[in-house]
Amino acid sequence: MSFANPVSKTGDRGPGEPQPTHRRRLGGQANWLELIERYALVVLFVAMLVFFSVWSKTSSTFPTSANIKNVLGNQAVSGILAVAIIIPLVCGVFDFSVGSVAGLSQVLCAGFMSHLGAPLVLAVLGAVGVGALIGVNNGNTVARIGVNSLIVTLGVSTVCLGIVEWYTKGQSIISGISPDLVKVGTGDWLGIPRTVYYLAVIALAVYYLLEHTPFGRYLHSIGSNPEAARLVGLPVQRYVTLSFVLSGALAGVAGVLLVARNGGASPQVGTVSDTLQALSAAYLGATAIKPGRFNVLGTLIAILFLSFTVTGLSLAGVANWINDVFNGAALFIAVLISTIIGRKRTGS
Amino acid sequence: MTTAGHARLVPVGAVSLRGSAALRLQHVSKTFPGTVALDDVTFDVASGQIHALLGGNGSGKSTLIKILAGVYEGDPGGTISVGSTQIAADRTTPAQARTLGLHFVHQNPAVFPALTVAENIAIGTGFPTSGGGAIRWRTLHRRTQMLLDRFQITATPKTPMSSLRPAERTMVAIARALQDQEGDATGVLVLDEPTASLPQSEVDLLMAALTRYAAHGQTILFVSHRLDEVIHSAQQATVLRDGRLAGTVHGADITEPQLIRLIAGRDLDRVFPEMPAATSKDIALSVTELAGGPLRSVTFQLRRGEVLGIGGLLGSGRSELLKMLFGAYPVKRGTINIDGRPIKFRHIGEAMSAGIAYVPEDRSTEASFPAMSLSENVNAAVISQYWSRLRLQRRHADRDARTAIKNFRVHAASERQTMSTLSGGNQQKVILARWLRRNPQILLLDEPTQGVDVQARAEIYQLVRQAVAHGTSVLLVTSDFEELSRVCDRVIVLANGTISAELQPPHIDPARLTELVFSAQELPA
Repeated sequence: MSFANPVSKTGDRGPGEPQPTHRRRLGGQANWLELIERYALVVLFVAMLVFFSVWSKTSSTFPTSANIKNVLGNQAVSGILAVAIIIPLVCGVFDFSVGSVAGLSQVLCAGFMSHLGAPLVLAVLGAVGVGALIGVNNGNTVARIGVNSLIVTLGVSTVCLGIVEWYTKGQSIISGISPDLVKVGTGDWLGIPRTVYYLAVIALAVYYLLEHTPFGRYLHSIGSNPEAARLVGLPVQRYVTLSFVLSGALAGVAGVLLVARNGGASPQVGTVSDTLQALSAAYLGATAIKPGRFNVLGTLIAILFLSFTVTGLSLAGVANWINDVFNGAALFIAVLISTIIGRKRTGS
Repeated sequence: MTTAGHARLVPVGAVSLRGSAALRLQHVSKTFPGTVALDDVTFDVASGQIHALLGGNGSGKSTLIKILAGVYEGDPGGTISVGSTQIAADRTTPAQARTLGLHFVHQNPAVFPALTVAENIAIGTGFPTSGGGAIRWRTLHRRTQMLLDRFQITATPKTPMSSLRPAERTMVAIARALQDQEGDATGVLVLDEPTASLPQSEVDLLMAALTRYAAHGQTILFVSHRLDEVIHSAQQATVLRDGRLAGTVHGADITEPQLIRLIAGRDLDRVFPEMPAATSKDIALSVTELAGGPLRSVTFQLRRGEVLGIGGLLGSGRSELLKMLFGAYPVKRGTINIDGRPIKFRHIGEAMSAGIAYVPEDRSTEASFPAMSLSENVNAAVISQYWSRLRLQRRHADRDARTAIKNFRVHAASERQTMSTLSGGNQQKVILARWLRRNPQILLLDEPTQGVDVQARAEIYQLVRQAVAHGTSVLLVTSDFEELSRVCDRVIVLANGTISAELQPPHIDPARLTELVFSAQELPA
């Protein structure tokens, strides 16, 4: 189909899904391999936590509740972006704009309140609505006209960054933010930062959507074979468009939460590197829990793994560039592994 | 036959060699596990002649061409000679085919519509470059112009390929394949069904060009399904049947009855379209003057509980007809009536609600979800049924999938197995199960047993028969005449965009079908 990315056409899977197999009836060895495959990321995550907890450079700062709460609270937004990005990925297309859309929504949400004096509800709805509208635009361009999704969303992402720069003139927006919103974004419930609860609700909703509704099955089908999906009567274009609308709207929600969490909007927050992190988490997540499928739980574990590792590294005092190298390498390795899993499973 | 002695007396080799063997196959066989695709085939292709290679599906034509091209290695014992060079048939490689002077142009020649003619030519042998690696365009265009003149193609080197007519594109592909050939008579041009996807006017143009090339001494071996072009253009015709040489005929002996006798394996009378028998059965589907794509005007009726076969060559519009009935291909004109009511599907969903099911021709690109489980594949057309109490009732879906897997005799470890790990026949049964689960009123089957083993094929038709017994009406497209004759209650033949013949029992047999499908080109449209 025309919207499929060029990567998948050359035999590579692109964002398409590698092969899930269920070999548990085929004997003990396969069983073990499957278990290892499924939980390798979890084991890696725990090992990393243990390492930073005992390493002399970080043992005093890393395993503290303050640090853990801080990471969880800050990374909830990254988690939402990662969950958002897997919706289009499931149906075989990239939404490379989630990070920048979050950045734009954040600035608009703060700007509506600060510059226009808009009431909180309108500011929030406006910010999320802009995200959804960008999704409509992405989706229509990709699904109806057939432009490559990576290029379209990369372009849109850059436009968003430019608008943010123009609107903020490089300055943060900190005045006139509704205190109610800030209260929603900061503080704890039962000792856990509130943003974590929002992430949990959104992740649960997306999990439900992708795994327990016909809509989710349809998205998986489109990702597996768009022409076959069309020939079982699915309105492929509409569903692909919808997947972009959902990822855009969720990126909008992430933008609002950024304002709530930080008490303002900064043009430095919500950029391409957030998209890359979300993409890393999505691909890394596709190697775990349900190997071969983009899945919400795997993605959440992946985002925890990535953010705690980055935090551990910075607590150890490594230079900032290490973070970029780590995030990039994680994406690279995640895509590599998920492709190898896919190859092995199709036997090609 | 010109003797070697004569050849020396004539100054220009091209003409003198005419008639001697340019390509000689001796005892060429090919065994695949379980089947013999080619069994001791021996024939000569005379120099400077057009030599046709014919045969039904599975006759071994493609295998033979692939051995020549070095795609397959033949069994030990056979030999292939080009000119005076002889090689063992089990030693062929693509590189060797090239050095021997065998030049291939396939059915859909690999031409690049977005590039110019000159660029298309250069992609065969490389671009001429200067020291710095830049393309020497003037050299390329001069070289291309010479080729265009030599092959009498009315285009300039800078013409975009997309603006050429289809026959000329094939001619450019031929020019590209032959550009390194020194004289006309040194190599052999092998064309694999060059006319299969061309309309008649283009076929005439291409065949005229081939005749001219042969007149200049070019040896041409071409695979074809169209008897009329073979009769008009070929000096020799070799027919394969079931992997064996059925015979080679020359010149005036190349006649339609003779070719059909060789293809079908027995004598035949000329068959005329039969009159449909009067029947009181009710009509499930009625199509009137349907047009669109390659179809000009198609009219037929499908009775309830009937298996109606559609015969026709590749490119006759068989698949497009099924897709139109499924709302998956644009209809230009004409009406479709289901149960006497005219319908016009705006999208596939409407066709499905109207009780139509469609098993597409190409399983891997059009039907299977390779990365998904059997359960998900079987349930793909009924997913919404499992939506209840705000969730997808997976267990229920899996249970139904298990039942379907058992009923449809899919050999799989579990319903959770990944689709792509199944054999072709089993995948096809899964696709069939997907649609028969909907209890369709009308089942459209496009080559349902392609690439399926004998056992699975029998099972598939048993399943189709079961559905028919429950009142489903079936439209079946297949290239296998044996299958058409054994499975169908009635067969219509599609040619030139219209129904050219209809066969009723007891007259449906493979031989008659062969004749009708292959000779349909000659019937008045």
